[in-house]
Amino acid sequence: MKKIEAIIKPFKLDDVKEALNGIGIKGMTISEVKGYGRQKGHKEIYRGAEYIVDFIPKAKLEIIVEAAQVDEVIETIRQAALTGKIGDGKIFVLPVEEVIRVRTGEKGKEAI
Amino acid sequence: MYKETGEISGLSGRMQTAIEPQDFSGLQARRQALDVYWQQGVSGYALLRKHSDFIDHHLADSFARSSPPGEGFALVALGGYGRQELYPFSDIDLMLLYDPARKDELKSLVEAILYPLWDTGLEVGHAVRTLEECMADASEDFFFRVAMLDARLIAGSAPLFAKLTEKYKTVYIEGKRQEFLDDMLEQRLKRETQYGRHTYLLEPHIKEGCGGFRDIQSMVWTAHVVFGLQDLASLQEAGLLSLEEFKRFEQAQDYLIRIRNRLHYVSGRKNDQLFFEHQEEMAQAFGFTNAKDMLAVEHFMREVYGHMQTISVTTDLFFEHVEEVLGSDDAPMAGKTLEPGIEVRHNKIHLANTERIRSEPKLFMRLFYQSSRIGKSLHFRTRKAITANLQRVDDKLRHSRRNAKLFLSILVAPEPFRVLEEMLDTGFLTTYIPELAKVESLAQHDVYHVFTVDRHLVQTINELEKLKEDESNTYAVVSSPHILFLAGLLHDVGKGFGHGHADRGADLARQVGERMGLTTNELGILDFLVRNHLFLSHTAQRRDLEDEDLIMRCARQVNTPEKLAMLYLLTIADARATGPTVWNDWKAALLLELYLKLALLLDRKDLSAQEQERSAELGAQWIREKVSELLPQGAKTNFDLFSDDYLLSFPPEVIVQHINYAKKLDKEDVLFLHEQSRDSWSLLVITRDRSGLLARIFGVLALHNLNVLAAKIFTWGDGTAVDTIEVSSAISETYDWQDWEAMESELHLAIKQRLGLEHRLSRKLAPLRNRPQGVQQRLAAKVAIDNEASEIYSIIEVFSEDRIGILYDITKALSDFGISIYRARIGSKADQVVDVFYVLDNDGKKIEDPSFIKELQEGLLYAVSKQ
Repeated sequence: MKKIEAIIKPFKLDDVKEALNGIGIKGMTISEVKGYGRQKGHKEIYRGAEYIVDFIPKAKLEIIVEAAQVDEVIETIRQAALTGKIGDGKIFVLPVEEVIRVRTGEKGKEAI
Repeated sequence: MYKETGEISGLSGRMQTAIEPQDFSGLQARRQALDVYWQQGVSGYALLRKHSDFIDHHLADSFARSSPPGEGFALVALGGYGRQELYPFSDIDLMLLYDPARKDELKSLVEAILYPLWDTGLEVGHAVRTLEECMADASEDFFFRVAMLDARLIAGSAPLFAKLTEKYKTVYIEGKRQEFLDDMLEQRLKRETQYGRHTYLLEPHIKEGCGGFRDIQSMVWTAHVVFGLQDLASLQEAGLLSLEEFKRFEQAQDYLIRIRNRLHYVSGRKNDQLFFEHQEEMAQAFGFTNAKDMLAVEHFMREVYGHMQTISVTTDLFFEHVEEVLGSDDAPMAGKTLEPGIEVRHNKIHLANTERIRSEPKLFMRLFYQSSRIGKSLHFRTRKAITANLQRVDDKLRHSRRNAKLFLSILVAPEPFRVLEEMLDTGFLTTYIPELAKVESLAQHDVYHVFTVDRHLVQTINELEKLKEDESNTYAVVSSPHILFLAGLLHDVGKGFGHGHADRGADLARQVGERMGLTTNELGILDFLVRNHLFLSHTAQRRDLEDEDLIMRCARQVNTPEKLAMLYLLTIADARATGPTVWNDWKAALLLELYLKLALLLDRKDLSAQEQERSAELGAQWIREKVSELLPQGAKTNFDLFSDDYLLSFPPEVIVQHINYAKKLDKEDVLFLHEQSRDSWSLLVITRDRSGLLARIFGVLALHNLNVLAAKIFTWGDGTAVDTIEVSSAISETYDWQDWEAMESELHLAIKQRLGLEHRLSRKLAPLRNRPQGVQQRLAAKVAIDNEASEIYSIIEVFSEDRIGILYDITKALSDFGISIYRARIGSKADQVVDVFYVLDNDGKKIEDPSFIKELQEGLLYAVSKQ
């Protein structure tokens, strides 16, 4: 089992969710995150006032899938989240040791 | 799960006959007993009573079986059980009062009473006390002191119990009215801090929350201690509640009782908070069904909020009354009259005579206006008078401009939130703006909206007020804050009818605005703000902000920097007023990005050059047609003389005026007209174009102490120069005092080159030249020459500090270089000047030679920095 974490542009969230639903991924954890990477925060001056945003708002998705499905999920996210411009985001794949469903105690594949 | 009415299982044969507690074998049958009562349709208060009777019966039974003979023991119910109000999972508060001489017999009696109770699974609060211990505990523990107010004898020695109540009364009630009230108010305050000041939170706590049972009990207890009144009905008889108030209050109480009964069962435990996940089930149980416009649960919660609101308002008024009664040893102070009929006394605003509001309905708004103006609340009796006379708020008042003006001034004054809350609580707000009645207490069943719609709207005003400071830069752009605040108050007025609330809201807001007598322009902005109040946040979160086409489209939709600023402020206020999860710095960052992109674009005047060109062609054509219609029949006008640009800069009537004036040029060399407009004076100069014309005009203006605010400079195809200039007096002269005649004659002389502008200006400005140069004065001047933006002209932009005569210096320098000015845009902001000139050199060509460009820049820089 793998955990896929994707950091994407917020406005792409709906597209990505929809695309993932399309390949049978129904469950995921979504959070609002703040990033600071190649695409720096910025300072703007407008009418003499300074506006500073020292982070870039991003959306984070976390999905647990079986190893066999990893490539498909990655490609789906990548296509749906792509604008071709700087700041499109990153996808991470991590190994997962075990998954347990709290309500039933089911483990592994059944619990995903 | 039970049903309040419906089929019965099990005991069906007995359902039609009354069932008594003794029909059940012991306390363990409690659950069964409750089921049976429900099946019989017993609900609300009656059920609490039945439940209490049931417990009474079985406890008395246990007591009788094991109590030693004599007067040594009394079994006492306290708190809610003492009041015979026992909910399915309420605690049972018991106290065994005993004579210390009989201490040895205590143990077996306690066991006999408590063990069966424990078996029922109920929470039992029990204590064993002697009379002395009771008194000692009461002195330390406020809650016990209050619980004692509801003490009731269940079984055992009546004389012993009577001794306790007598003693309690002498020590803790008589002569202790003020202390009791103080304790009670302190507890109320604590509850408010813990559970929130408001009845309309997403998951209301119907026991401890504002407008919940504690509020009811506090009122009844206080009435008991302070006035010796035993129940609600006697409060009404004593005149503390009007009949109307009493009825509404009783209804509200009954509703809450039914909710609490059901809630205990739905949750399967003692739970008094109406949690989100229970709300739908509760709504069904109360018989609500989903409708097209409103969910069952929203309907249900609206009732809940409405009733809790009744309780909250009534108890607030009651406590203010009690405070006044007890605090009345202050010498009665004469009121200070604020205006006829309204006075301020003891820090509160009073109607001098409550009857007067009937004959003078304008007093409603005057009261709130005074409250806003001097920052004091309305006295409770005045609030009651407002509520009692709301039927006097009629269409005439709703259409009164004067009334509307007061209302709008309250919105933009400090503390609009406090005043609006009082308006809402008294019912005045929804009577004055009936459109708001539709959203009163209206709940939104989702996890974002913490407040009901009406409270959210008032809360939005609160947030808008905070933004005056938090976003002062943006707020400074807003020239009509009253429209922004009105939009804040009305932005969700279209809720409660399903989808499309923004569009519906805009229509309703327009209706309200029309009634208030807003101007067409104001109505347009109000409509725009309400209709688009979700536009920015939706776009910021769901669209690619790097898509330039998108930003361009948005900018076109918003159209002006001021509307953008208003919409931005409204968006922030709306989000902050919705709930704690809706606004955070993550969303703020997205919104800010969109805002700045749009703001920077809107500040650039060349918004979508292509688009402008297209609509310009159409617009110019339309104006040509209009102008021909307005000109007298048979008048020959050659429209080729007028550029599109010129035609688009004025309304058709003004162009017709220009054409008519220009005919006089045959006889006169220079035509000069001046008139007073709203914030400035408008000048019109028509003459044959000649080199250096603009410099001469600006020179004369400087001689006459006039600041140029804006100018439109055009030259017709036949060489007629039509210059319109907006000016203001630099020395605050009034329009009538300005020496227009002298100016006109000097203008003639200057244009004919018979006036020595250079030396006259030099002499005039001499005294100003010696002023000390502060740091702030040295804003770097800049000259930019752009050959890209326009196909035909070179565009020269001059940035510099403002000073008298600067335009003369700039235009003089341009003229010295032989440069012709075809169009100019003069703008000054604060101390800075940004002037834009569309020019050609003396060969009628763009200025493209790099060395000439450099020379020109230096020449202009010298001109603007000249002392």
